[in-house]
Amino acid sequence: MKLIIAILREDRVEDTKEVLETLGIKGVTFLYVTGRGQQKGRVTAWELGESLNRNMRMQLVGARPGEELPNVGSGVAGSPLHRDTEFAFGFLPKRMIIMVASDKEVNLIVQAILNANQTGQHGDGRIFICPMIGAIRIRTGEQADKALS
Amino acid sequence: MKLIRAIIRPESTPRVIEALEKNSIYAMTRMNVTGRGKEMGITQGSIRYTEIPKEMLMIVLPDDAVTKAIRMIETAAKTSAKDYSTAGNPGDGKIFVTDVEESHTIRTGEK
Repeated sequence: MKLIIAILREDRVEDTKEVLETLGIKGVTFLYVTGRGQQKGRVTAWELGESLNRNMRMQLVGARPGEELPNVGSGVAGSPLHRDTEFAFGFLPKRMIIMVASDKEVNLIVQAILNANQTGQHGDGRIFICPMIGAIRIRTGEQADKALS
Repeated sequence: MKLIRAIIRPESTPRVIEALEKNSIYAMTRMNVTGRGKEMGITQGSIRYTEIPKEMLMIVLPDDAVTKAIRMIETAAKTSAKDYSTAGNPGDGKIFVTDVEESHTIRTGEK
């Protein structure tokens, strides 16, 4: 048995659920967590996209109310709204999903999670696979693989 | 690879994160949890609190970096008594280390 811990983007969780359901994986635990990776929680203006709302943009550019605002992704490198300008958020909200699977299911699940979550941008998340020594279904007391099915 | 789970006081989290950053460990996951230790919570007068808010940090590191990271978390999360007579108080937390067999980066799919 293996314990699979996956840290995912918040908006990919629904897709992931669907994929796992089609695979017949029923038992999953979902958690709200915050986290960051090697980028230390930096996000580019391009990745922020719509969530970088009008008020924030006005502050960044220093525009007065009513003035025309440049779009995200416009401007020269280094200007506040250039697509590569990074914003430091520290710990970003993420979802963690935890499941226990028998050895032969692991590759299938990992592949399914990868397919549902790859956007190619930093922050897609991680999957960790740890050994799990035992599992017991509390209702019946069944042990090991029987407790999973 | 090892997975480090550190259950620490919420107020000492910034110190711990700072210490890990100095060791160039940036990647981690935080979550709010509640728990108790062998003191069975806190008893204030006749009221017993059995679940105390804590913060859990989850960090996955290569084997050779684990010992150093544990020591950094330990020193940063330890509180001193009011009169500085002892270092460490009940409730400072615990660090658990478990094996990780594989790690996949979702963006690239690499192991």
